[in-house]
Amino acid sequence: MTARRTIGALLLAAVLALAGCGRDEGGGDGAAEQSKAIAEGPATGEITVWAMGTEGELLPKLAAEFQKENPDATVKVTAVPWDGAHDKISTAIAGRQTPDVSLLGTTWMGEFAGTGGLDPVPADLVTPGDFFEGPWNTVAVKGTPYGVPWYTDTRVLYYRKDLADKAGVQAPTTWEELKTFVKALQDKGGAKYGIYLQPAGRGNWQTLAPFVWQAGGDMVNDPANPTEYTLDTPQWSEALDFQKSFYDEKLSQATALQPGEIESKFAKGELGSFVSGPWHVGLVKDQGVKDEQLGLAVMPKKQTGTSFVGGGNLAVFKDAKNRDGAWKFVQWLSRPETQQNWYDTSKDLPAIKAAWEGGALASDPLLKVFNTQLEDAKAPPAVATWEQVAQVIDTESEKVFKGASSTADATKAIQSQASSIGLGT
Amino acid sequence: MAAAPTQVRQRGGGARSGSATMRRRQTLAAWGFALPFMVLFLVFMAGPVLASLGMSFTDFTSRDLRNPLAINLVGLENYTKLLSDERFLRSAFNTLYFVVVGIPLTMGIALAVAVALNSGIERFRTMFRVGFYTPVVTSIVAVAVVWRFLLQPDSGLLNTVLGWVGIDGPNWLQSTTWAMPSLIAMAAWRNMGTLMVIFLAGLQTIPRDLYEAAMVDGAGAWRRFRSITLPLLRPTLLLGAVLMGVGYLQFFEEPFVMTKGGPLDHTLSVAYFTYNQFGFGNYSYAAAASYLLFLAIVVVTLVQFRLLRPRT
Repeated sequence: MTARRTIGALLLAAVLALAGCGRDEGGGDGAAEQSKAIAEGPATGEITVWAMGTEGELLPKLAAEFQKENPDATVKVTAVPWDGAHDKISTAIAGRQTPDVSLLGTTWMGEFAGTGGLDPVPADLVTPGDFFEGPWNTVAVKGTPYGVPWYTDTRVLYYRKDLADKAGVQAPTTWEELKTFVKALQDKGGAKYGIYLQPAGRGNWQTLAPFVWQAGGDMVNDPANPTEYTLDTPQWSEALDFQKSFYDEKLSQATALQPGEIESKFAKGELGSFVSGPWHVGLVKDQGVKDEQLGLAVMPKKQTGTSFVGGGNLAVFKDAKNRDGAWKFVQWLSRPETQQNWYDTSKDLPAIKAAWEGGALASDPLLKVFNTQLEDAKAPPAVATWEQVAQVIDTESEKVFKGASSTADATKAIQSQASSIGLGT
Repeated sequence: MAAAPTQVRQRGGGARSGSATMRRRQTLAAWGFALPFMVLFLVFMAGPVLASLGMSFTDFTSRDLRNPLAINLVGLENYTKLLSDERFLRSAFNTLYFVVVGIPLTMGIALAVAVALNSGIERFRTMFRVGFYTPVVTSIVAVAVVWRFLLQPDSGLLNTVLGWVGIDGPNWLQSTTWAMPSLIAMAAWRNMGTLMVIFLAGLQTIPRDLYEAAMVDGAGAWRRFRSITLPLLRPTLLLGAVLMGVGYLQFFEEPFVMTKGGPLDHTLSVAYFTYNQFGFGNYSYAAAASYLLFLAIVVVTLVQFRLLRPRT
């Protein structure tokens, strides 16, 4: 009996405690959260850094140079696999046991900033104008930057130059030209499919998004301070219809390719073109595509020629033990010289404009295409629930491309589901 | 347990207070011995389970990570929202489809193989046993790669073979009709080995003389199977059905490695849905979904116990 009463009392206490402590409104997510400036002078103490994938493996090389300039500081890099990184960071924030600095995926910023676990960038640490606008927008959540772009990537049109020459066409600059270009690669160039646009599966929306931006649309009403989604606008319909027409006219295959198939089909000449980021240059060359066979072009224009921007940002946590040292390390990584050096080490494209003015970055003609495209590249809005909305877009757009749903129904469904998911504030 | 205090009282005789102290000491000692297990159980088993149950009645999301007490109680809101969430209902339907088709299929194949290995096949028996059990111990990741090759639309083995007899095979994993059957086939192939071993053990316990008596009475193979094997194998079948039921209701790996829940969510399972919601940071919503799945498992298991209980 006593045991039961004790349990009852404990449960009651727990319920009362929970009921008593609701979420205080507008605490962490106030619009103008200010961060105090960092101290002058070289960095000191231990700086712990988490970085994913190749970046995690290569960063220690760069960190060694930082330590040469800041002899009192030691940088400890932990390599974290991309797959588990998101959960690991969530757990670290929850347990308040974060590293000082971490690499974050560009689409995670909204969510992690929303937890209140990220330290806003101190004023005067970096100049926003030094960065390309697209990557910079990925760090700004409601106008407050919660990190600094480290490296970036953007998508451009890859095409088989030899097939285009055979077909007698030039790289397209408009939507109409893209259509005739792709048709020519297929009819005269000998490709089985003129282009590959991902029709289904997760991440589908990343193929559609550039078309929406090119048509003049966007995902939210005001990317800097979003209050509602705009996913059922005429621009969305236009983009969906445009992408669908490639499947209807059999210019792109209507089923998703497995990883690795794009490169091999492209190398065999079965596939005339596709849209992808800088990592594909190496991949297609590995498959035997020769330099003179590979052409890159910036995205075709409708209203604009906007492309998709991805990459990685560096953020400092509120629970960092060495906040000053952490921001100094981030600042150092954002210097043009460091970014050029980093490109030589990792082939990651610099997010800072000045870094493109020297070395291999300035001379390589393929890289020039990425440089030009970066001037007009956008990222999805930094809202906490974006991944969830993206999944809705994946599913509904797949329905359109399969002919299982009309464009009007799909955009309506996307908008209503996105509204009920909300902006996560 | 009830005997111990009486014994103490008898031995204690007149000294009542002495026996009470002794009893208290014994109780303390018993708790002391049980303590390591109790602490581990409460902290690592009961704690998280109760916490997640509690979480499902709140609005805990990733924004509360740093300040987990700043959440609100929302009662059953997560549950009602789930029941009107189209994607969740879709995943519930898919899971049901997988279970209803998958369990009988897996059990049927496993039983057929077990019976064949138990009586029919004499030569290479060990080789067959090893062969049928291998999929169970093979990593799903490796299996997925091979199955994706098999099911490739234009160059896959399956469609090539179908092509020989003039059938134009579908794009298995990207067709809303065929993706789920493909996954069911793969799951049956993977899990059949476990059931086969259990059924083989069950078959060994059926006395041979029953079959001999039946043969003397003129019963054919099918009759012997129906009237002797099946009834005597009932407890084993129940065990198999419960094990498979619990496993299949939580099916996750197959769509995770093969289809990512597509096409159009047609292979999205409840467990996968929950996984996604956790990934989105909707912790309380995901917790609610997993408790609905837990309820479903309880119900299905009870039904199985009812259907397959030994008839006495």
